[in-house]
Amino acid sequence: MSGYRLPAGGRIDRAAPLDFTFDGRAYRGFAGDNLASALVASGQMLFGRSFKYHRPRGILGMGTEEPNALVTVDRGATAPGWGRATPNLRAPSVALYQGLNAQSQNRFPSLRFDLGAVNDRLGALFPAGFYNKTFMWPRSAWEKLYEPAIRRMAGLGASPTTRDPDHYDATYAHCEVLVVGGGLAGIEAALSAAQDGGRVILIDEQDELGGGALADRALWGELADKTMALRRLGNVTVLTRTTAFGYYHQNFVGAVEQLTDHLAPEQAKGARERLWRIRAGEVVLAQGAIERPLVFDGNDVPGVMLSSAGRTLAVRYGVAVGRAVAVMAVHDSGWRDAMAMKAAGVGVVAVIDLRSDVAPDLVAAARAAGIALHLGHAVTSVSGRHGVSGVTFAANGTGHAQQLAVDALLMAGGWTPTVHLWSHAKGSLRWDADWGAYLPDVAQENCRAVGAGAGAWDMGSGLALGTLPGPKPIWQTKAFVDFQNDVKARDIDLAVREGMRSIEHIKRYTTNGMATDQGKTSNLNGLQIASGSLAKPVTDIGLTTFRPPYTPQTFGALMGHHKDALFQPIRKTVIDGWAADHGAVFENVAQWRRARYFPQGSEDMHAAVARECLAVRERVGMFDASTLGKIEVVGPDAAEFLNRMYTNPWKALQPGRCRYGLLLREDGFITDDGVSARLAPDRFHLTTTTGGAARVLAMMEDYLQTEWSDLDVWLTSTTEQWAVIAVQGPLARAVIAPLVEGIDLSPSAFPHMAIREGRICGVPTRLFRVSFTGELGFEVNVPAEHGRMVWQAIHAAGQAHGITPYGTETMHVLRAEKGYVIVGQDTDGTLTPDDAGMAWAVGTKKPDFVGKRSLSRPDMAAPGRKQLVGLLTEDPQDVLEEGAQIVADPDQPVPMTMLGHVTSSYHSATLGRSIAMAVIADGRARDGQVIHVPMPGRTIRARVTASTVFYDPEGSRLDV
Amino acid sequence: MSEAIAIPALAVAGTDLALESQATTAAGVALTLEPPASRWSLRARTADALAAVIGRPVPARIGETRDGLACLGPDEWLADLPAGTVLPDGAGQPVSVVDISARGVVIRVEGAGAARTVASGCPLDVERFAVGRATRTVYETVEVILWRESETAFRVFVWRSFAPWLWHALKACERA
Amino acid sequence: MLLIHCPYCEEDRPEVEFVYGGEAHIARPLDPAALSDEDWEHYLYIRRNPRGRHHERWRHTHGCGRFFNAVRDTVSDRFEQTYKAGEPRR
Repeated sequence: MSGYRLPAGGRIDRAAPLDFTFDGRAYRGFAGDNLASALVASGQMLFGRSFKYHRPRGILGMGTEEPNALVTVDRGATAPGWGRATPNLRAPSVALYQGLNAQSQNRFPSLRFDLGAVNDRLGALFPAGFYNKTFMWPRSAWEKLYEPAIRRMAGLGASPTTRDPDHYDATYAHCEVLVVGGGLAGIEAALSAAQDGGRVILIDEQDELGGGALADRALWGELADKTMALRRLGNVTVLTRTTAFGYYHQNFVGAVEQLTDHLAPEQAKGARERLWRIRAGEVVLAQGAIERPLVFDGNDVPGVMLSSAGRTLAVRYGVAVGRAVAVMAVHDSGWRDAMAMKAAGVGVVAVIDLRSDVAPDLVAAARAAGIALHLGHAVTSVSGRHGVSGVTFAANGTGHAQQLAVDALLMAGGWTPTVHLWSHAKGSLRWDADWGAYLPDVAQENCRAVGAGAGAWDMGSGLALGTLPGPKPIWQTKAFVDFQNDVKARDIDLAVREGMRSIEHIKRYTTNGMATDQGKTSNLNGLQIASGSLAKPVTDIGLTTFRPPYTPQTFGALMGHHKDALFQPIRKTVIDGWAADHGAVFENVAQWRRARYFPQGSEDMHAAVARECLAVRERVGMFDASTLGKIEVVGPDAAEFLNRMYTNPWKALQPGRCRYGLLLREDGFITDDGVSARLAPDRFHLTTTTGGAARVLAMMEDYLQTEWSDLDVWLTSTTEQWAVIAVQGPLARAVIAPLVEGIDLSPSAFPHMAIREGRICGVPTRLFRVSFTGELGFEVNVPAEHGRMVWQAIHAAGQAHGITPYGTETMHVLRAEKGYVIVGQDTDGTLTPDDAGMAWAVGTKKPDFVGKRSLSRPDMAAPGRKQLVGLLTEDPQDVLEEGAQIVADPDQPVPMTMLGHVTSSYHSATLGRSIAMAVIADGRARDGQVIHVPMPGRTIRARVTASTVFYDPEGSRLDV
Repeated sequence: MSEAIAIPALAVAGTDLALESQATTAAGVALTLEPPASRWSLRARTADALAAVIGRPVPARIGETRDGLACLGPDEWLADLPAGTVLPDGAGQPVSVVDISARGVVIRVEGAGAARTVASGCPLDVERFAVGRATRTVYETVEVILWRESETAFRVFVWRSFAPWLWHALKACERA
Repeated sequence: MLLIHCPYCEEDRPEVEFVYGGEAHIARPLDPAALSDEDWEHYLYIRRNPRGRHHERWRHTHGCGRFFNAVRDTVSDRFEQTYKAGEPRR
């Protein structure tokens, strides 16, 4: 094909060849190359297939703006099921390394012969808005037919299906000045900022500093000097291969540093990428500018690319894009590029410029360099499908057609300053007619733009055009504006003709600028075309919004440390290790991991839970309740405070006694519950649900700090101070008696719902006599570091009594047999105490408590509210599904009237049958009625019981 | 291409996290688990009111530390005292004295890169965090109390069940 | 991530240390029983949703632990000022 390596020049290391593969074929490049430069040097001009029409595409640019050359890089499998493959990487941004393995995308079966290209032949069938207009009916076909088919045809690379073996680093960083962009303007800004002695961070996305200067030999000396000066400064941190992807409030900038993707996998050590979260005093944006393509028929043939790309390939990489290269310019920079390429040894044969009047020094220099000049002319078409074989051009695009045999055509359409980050930070923009582009205007943050990105760089002058003039009407051309989303000039024109007026509408209708490149090369051309079609100035059409990320980032980088074992903290109690050693099956409850049951031998959950339940009812069981939320409430006004928070009275509670507390939100709905103990007149030990601990503490702090700040009382979370071991069952007292010192355990001295302080196993304990099982029970609180020792001591002492460790599943069954609710399972934030059958827990004589006033709102006492009741299935072996809907009449046509749903449901070994709780409209009034639970294939009948207590309704087993 | 991704249950993902007594981060910073101490959460409306009850000098400015006491908020102090120290319980007084010795652990981060290690997940300007200062803050999603002992040593107080995650997250830090 | 000035710590701290607490200066009625259903509903549920200056509560949960009040511009997201709980509306 057309590209080749020049015999000399460039910043590559010709002494360090690197072998790599693209679509399975072997190639060779050099250290310092990127994937695109190395492939072009090897004559490979075809890089991919376009998104919608599957047209063959080469590279357009040599930077992050590249829309076409998206590749998948496979860094190999590390173990079965684990692999490193990253789709949709821009080839010019992929550093070359030994063994690099890249594949093209969106082609089947091969890049050169792609069946999907039939879309291109049928292109007239796929105009703007095609999807919106066509795939509308029937609705169901979207899921089954249209969407899968469209996704298969119109695709980017495939997502990896194996797990990512890499890990990712993250950090915060603070600096006085952050400079984004390491071209000469950025380097100068960093050098200047460093004079003040503050911390300066300079970040640049390329593998070496220099930006545009890397493609200008004349600047290499200055660049080397300034880079050296920068690296000598102790207060400057230079981050290369780092992309600032988002600029957020108050100078908070997100950036991702590539740490290993530029290295051969076997040389890559440590994290793959690092997320930088930078807070800067001042931000200097030196992001440079991106060259604009020209819009004309055939501008997407591989070998047609930006003029700056041709220049960068020649000067920085020592690569010629072709043997006979033409430049189509409307801007002076194309002429300078032509001369730079010529000087580097590239066969530049012609410069075609739409302008008749070009600076005389450029004309003279080009002529002296032996380049043919065609002023006042425009390219009208390109020959070749997989590569350029020639161009047709004409005076002003409409005159006599002339042919020129070339194998590459470069487009110099002017420059678009990169204002993405500026716009993220809500800086305003102003239209600059000379640049034909928007420039930074007024900053909202402490931020300034410098260099080409601010319009402060001598790029020369030129025209800003929508399309090149040509002989054909726009609707007959295939002149691409957005290369990645396959949007043509005629699509934008059609959108305008179909009534779109704002660029925001045109963008969404045509998808112009909506691809992964966010319109870096298409936005301004799209605006100019819309401006022409609407016959309105560009500034009247608006500008679409730039949003982070500036370039696509990996999920891994954004996750930082939060991956695999570090995905999130999994909280474990001090007894967790014992449970693991004894074969516990665990479940996650909030952030906690809790033992669910302890299977023995080949027991399944059903068998293990049945055994554990019977052991508690008949003998004794032990349960790790350490995750219960705990709050120490201390101060002279402690009782007054609790009295205001909870529904029931607290002031008369004697030290040494416990009380069940029900907590409402101010709207009257149950939010938490727990048993709490009064240790002293001014000290309470509160418990909350496991999942509610943080929420309840925050809620209490809120009332204390903002409503009742006159109260002398303070709250301290002691959840993790205490390990809690529940010992439950008729033999519970016998088990702990030998271990306890200083506490009289006799029923008369230590009744149900009491607390005593003393010692157990030689360590201090707060011993509660409470029960969540309906059996005689104790909850042994000991300082966490002793929790496992005490657990093991109780377990050993309990052997003589047949003690059985049990988990959360058994705890659930035991409490359900007793009708005890679990807030958050049996309640859902819409139940009042009365709805939950707990009107008894409300102190009606109290003048006020949180939520009280809401309980007398009319709707809170209206008939028809859902109430918590029991359910007994007619077939005692049927266990209802939690969450199942309940209806009165299963023969009612769909949609049936839903009465409520099942909240808790278990098989009870103690009762030899299933039990369930449910919330049902007017539930208590339905006592004895049969309701129906429709399930797939059948309907289950169950009888309502107004009481949720299925076992020992008198509570006689507690008081022993 | 449609091969399902097998993702282990979340419950399994953290099971290999155990707290060691010593480790070195990927960037060469030493992590040490400090031995148990006597730690208290102390609350009162003023520093003077608290000092009168516990009979010790109490720092009055938020962030200030003195003789093992750190002022965390306008009415909140952390006491970090030698193991075995017992404070008066302040019964009947308008103060709150609560023993939290067992509630958490302290991870000591020490070495030339200590500040960068802490800054890996702490959004404060850790480099500029003054020696002798303490504050409650976060490391990623985990609440911690950060206490700078010297230019190169930080003490990170964390609740017990979050300690393994924090330990391993710190250990994984590579920024040198 | 915003920086928020904590009026107790007297410094700018990162947003992740804070929790938003809804509209400010809505005092719980001293005698809720004296309120009509309509007034109670208003206290419970009715909130302003201004475009521009908004008085709101924040809590420096992972810092000094205190609730305080702030004036924030809901358009620009900028904090105009913060002040201690109990101080008059600004």
